[in-house]
Amino acid sequence: MVRALRNNVGFLYVLPALAFVGFFVLWPLLQLGYLSLTDTSLLGGGQFIGLENYIKAFEDKKFWQALGFTARYTVFITPLLMGLGFALALLTSPNRRLQQITRGIIFLPVVIGIGSSSLLWFWLFDQQVGLFNKFLVDIGLLAEPAVWFTKADMGLLAVTISITWKVIGFGMLLFVAGIQSINGEIGEAALIDGGNYWQRVWYIILPLSLRVILLTTLISVIGSMLAFDQFYIMTGGNPRGQTFTAVYSIYQSSFISFKLGYGAALSIILTAIILVFSSLQVILSNRSPSQ
Amino acid sequence: MPSSWRAALAAAAMSVVVVVPGTAFAETLSLWARASSSNAAQHMIDLWNASHDDKIELTTIPDNQMVTKLATSVQAGDVPDLISFDLIFMPDFMKAGFLTDLTATLSTDPNQAKVAKAFRDLATYDGKLYGTGFTPDVSILVYNKDLFKKAGLDPESPPKTIAQLQEYATKIKQAVPDAYGYYFSGSCGGCNIFTQAPMMWGSGATLLPTSGDAPAMEGPGVKEVLTMLKQMWDAKVIPESAEADTGANFMATFETGTIGMQGSGGFAISLLKANHPDMDFGIAPLPGLAEGQASSFVGGDVIAIPTGAKHAELATQFIQWQLTDEAQLEGLAKNLILPSRSDLADNKYFQEEPRYITTAQAVGIGQTPYAFHFNDMVNADQSPWLTMLQTAIFDGDIDGAIEGAREAMRAIAAE
Repeated sequence: MVRALRNNVGFLYVLPALAFVGFFVLWPLLQLGYLSLTDTSLLGGGQFIGLENYIKAFEDKKFWQALGFTARYTVFITPLLMGLGFALALLTSPNRRLQQITRGIIFLPVVIGIGSSSLLWFWLFDQQVGLFNKFLVDIGLLAEPAVWFTKADMGLLAVTISITWKVIGFGMLLFVAGIQSINGEIGEAALIDGGNYWQRVWYIILPLSLRVILLTTLISVIGSMLAFDQFYIMTGGNPRGQTFTAVYSIYQSSFISFKLGYGAALSIILTAIILVFSSLQVILSNRSPSQ
Repeated sequence: MPSSWRAALAAAAMSVVVVVPGTAFAETLSLWARASSSNAAQHMIDLWNASHDDKIELTTIPDNQMVTKLATSVQAGDVPDLISFDLIFMPDFMKAGFLTDLTATLSTDPNQAKVAKAFRDLATYDGKLYGTGFTPDVSILVYNKDLFKKAGLDPESPPKTIAQLQEYATKIKQAVPDAYGYYFSGSCGGCNIFTQAPMMWGSGATLLPTSGDAPAMEGPGVKEVLTMLKQMWDAKVIPESAEADTGANFMATFETGTIGMQGSGGFAISLLKANHPDMDFGIAPLPGLAEGQASSFVGGDVIAIPTGAKHAELATQFIQWQLTDEAQLEGLAKNLILPSRSDLADNKYFQEEPRYITTAQAVGIGQTPYAFHFNDMVNADQSPWLTMLQTAIFDGDIDGAIEGAREAMRAIAAE
């Protein structure tokens, strides 16, 4: 009886947070769920149509192509962000004097809005006035300025470069925090045992950073699955819709075709997919060894 | 100020209102305009505000957010008094019941009869008028006279048919290898309905269907224009960057001075004069299959009153006022902006710049497609219109592209 009462008091403490989540997360999600069961248009109206939007979505080749591209982008950029983030965390560690400066410079693009940075890179990649092309021509890697957005792979590469520049500092910071939380005595013991730098990285730092690696992967996967601004600004979904992402597809359905109900159904499908990935990673994270 | 004084002043003010019948406080009306036409709207507003007690305040809305903003504001019951938006959305908005019926006022206004036909047609639904022309723009052919001279072409004789356009573009490419004969934004549906479609319908084609069984992409001009563009693409008369241009470089490429000709809008005149005062460029109507079939796309903004506007009566007065000679000439033409009334195309302010007269006259001969779901059919990134252009020009399957667009457009129109 006393124990139950104590639990109830505990419940009261989290009530404000629960109310906040309920009002700002669960309620809109429920509204979205209902919207997905109607044929509501941006121009008004809307009838309950059951699962029709979902049936239509599963037959919608453009949406599945967009989802496929989103998955490809995620698979392409995530290892890159992980590897580079980890490498930068290691590279900026040894020299304490330069540490803050180099980390500060690498982190700087994180504070720039994604729209601004995408626009910046859009013009840097421009065939006629882009500095990136000029640089590649000057160092002899290109014979003439390239048109970056006429091929899906080139567009994907261009966006990947811009996003890597934009967010790599954040990944680096997470890895730095992870590395710094490793008990120094373990490293010292390895040093006494004669382990060289790479052996310490491979056998100590990397395994003990597993939780950070899983967390960074989770953030990267969710961010990539929700990619929109960078493709909207840089590739415009081109060529021929080959660089449409899932969110771009939802935006098109909702605000260009005015089909809010259908857009809501696509959003729910994407949310479900992201939930599956997130759950898997959370489970893996809970099973991973901690120090 | 002591509170007793304030009370006395308030009572005095109230007594003036009571004693003098008809006394009213000046109102402030709100007008939303999309960003690309807000400059023109501001000129009109400044002119009105200078001579009226009731003032108008402009709110600029990003172009791509206008539909969302209006739709949500109407549904929330919190709308501006006036709204200026892309005329192409007029059919969808009228059908959705977003706009106030202005038939009683506009149908008896003699100035309304002089407004460009395209605006009058687009603003009519079920025999009722819901708006009128405000700040038009129209598509034209812009060409680089220096490149014409280098190619041995007469800079005062722009192409009058699409065959001539192809011939001139090819000559420019041959004479100046670093330059290109023609340019278009190959990944921008809106840019191309504005600049390529007039070459088709000027020759007699019917493009966008109004219902599921209406004609779509039919008649002379469709296949011929696509064939011309494909041949120019194959011959590299058009730069490679055109394929990926979503409209971001719609004018920027021409501004480099390496493009012989391209479809553009009347806005190009002011833009080029301001940014490239040394560039020698000409303006001409967009040609059709045969001489005399020139046409254009009448774009720009209509003005209307959203349903539920608080000052609908005053807003109607503004709409009528902006059609007067004074507003059209002093608010628009004086600022080198096209008037929406065709009868004022040749006005005193355009005399020094004949290119404006050519452009203003194009408003009179131009068309605007009357279509519901225009965004879906044309503006969307994988719209049937854009897919048709890309499949025909870049892949070379012209017949398949037309047939595919026809089916997809009818399916959209049937919704």
